[in-house]
Amino acid sequence: MDFREDSFMLILGLIVVLAISVQSVFFLIRAIRRGREIGVSSLVIKNTVISSVLFTLAPSLAIVATVVALSPSLGIILPWIRLSVIGNITQETTAASTALASVGDGSSLSFAVTDKGTFNVVMWVMALASSFPLLIIPLMLKRLQKGIKKFSGNKDSKWTDAMSASAFLGLISAFIARSIAGVGTFNSVSGQYNYDGAGLISAAALVSSIIAMIILQKIALRYKIKWLDSFAMPMSMLLAMGVVIVLAQVLPESLYQLEWRMPQPTVG
Amino acid sequence: MNKEALRSYDDKTHIAGRISMISILVILLAVPLAFSLHYNVFPNIKLLDLGQLVGIFIMFYATAIVETIAYTPLLGTSGMYLGFVTGNISNLKLPCAIAAMSKADVKSGSQEAEVVSTIAIAVSSIVTTITLAVFVLLLRPILPSLTAEGSLLAPAFKQVLPCLFGALAASYFFKYWKLGIAPIAVLVIVLLFSGSIPVGTLIPIGVAVSLVATHLLYKKGYV
Repeated sequence: MDFREDSFMLILGLIVVLAISVQSVFFLIRAIRRGREIGVSSLVIKNTVISSVLFTLAPSLAIVATVVALSPSLGIILPWIRLSVIGNITQETTAASTALASVGDGSSLSFAVTDKGTFNVVMWVMALASSFPLLIIPLMLKRLQKGIKKFSGNKDSKWTDAMSASAFLGLISAFIARSIAGVGTFNSVSGQYNYDGAGLISAAALVSSIIAMIILQKIALRYKIKWLDSFAMPMSMLLAMGVVIVLAQVLPESLYQLEWRMPQPTVG
Repeated sequence: MNKEALRSYDDKTHIAGRISMISILVILLAVPLAFSLHYNVFPNIKLLDLGQLVGIFIMFYATAIVETIAYTPLLGTSGMYLGFVTGNISNLKLPCAIAAMSKADVKSGSQEAEVVSTIAIAVSSIVTTITLAVFVLLLRPILPSLTAEGSLLAPAFKQVLPCLFGALAASYFFKYWKLGIAPIAVLVIVLLFSGSIPVGTLIPIGVAVSLVATHLLYKKGYV
């Protein structure tokens, strides 16, 4: 049996998934209990749970797509482990491809890794590269929070509210700006252009999502539909994804793939 | 709720967070170690091109420090311990938490916000873990047809982020439009000069610009 996907690897994967599930469930139960103690209503808790489920489903499938993209080279279990813990799409692909390049035997993400030693190097590099936050957060977080509290403690609440909203806006702006003016990337597995830069489709996705959100919120407000207000955000995201699928089917390829700027392919 | 009880809850959160995070770190590193011991293969450092590896380690570790600092005021205590374990913070956990807090109408940094964002991040982590496990373990035969390059759903997966952040922006920017102008304008200009800057680099720039601009707007009395 392929060592990348044998029962030994499967057991390792299950142990990792079990550990992170225990942590998530523990904090979930603790937060719900705490919410009840401080008077957060059951409705708020219920809506938070349902809207978070809806919000997460589609991006989770996008993460599954990364696991699939890495699986011809690394098998399905290692990408599954890596994307379940800490991992994100860009970091894991970068770590894996650099690890393979460092072995220097011509291995790359374009071919199946058949040597156990090479595979083990990839495992170590991916784990060590991404695990740093798990070391620094237990050491730094409390002190960091104290520092932030001390800095903002003397200011009035209007200033604190505005600054906390503005930090969120800074994060959201990064993604909005990328959809408006970003240049796309090349797939580090296949070497092909990803068509993920800013262009007609990213703008259509962004605008559809904004319009859907405005319409759904207006409907919820006018007809006093409380549940719709709570789920307007995940529904807008899914509706916009539906628009993208329809556009991909009806638009000619030249228009569908239209991007404002195309990057130069990297050589080598 | 008196201050002492609050402090003790927060202290307990740190203790639980530290124990769980360090335990998962140990498990994470035990995976390659178990493989090494099981097959008796160990990386031969002398044969590796260490230059390349050191390069990505520096990059990843620097990103980890910047992300830890940037996300601390946004994620809450439990959210930090949870979110950094399951990852995909900026593209999933944080938007999920922001959406939940916005809908629940809780003040950022309050006890209620800590509860709501923790529930959102925990649920999001559980759903991601289950989705990945179900698809990887049970639906492997049909996986490629769902996610492959030419599949019906593939175009939508590529645009998950604009779809997600469009909805979030619509909700947030209408509330605080004055604060949103500066970071978007600056980041678009930055991207016009260097379009391939990854979003991980844009986030700290966006947050810094946004904080400075908001502080100035506050001083001038516009906020």
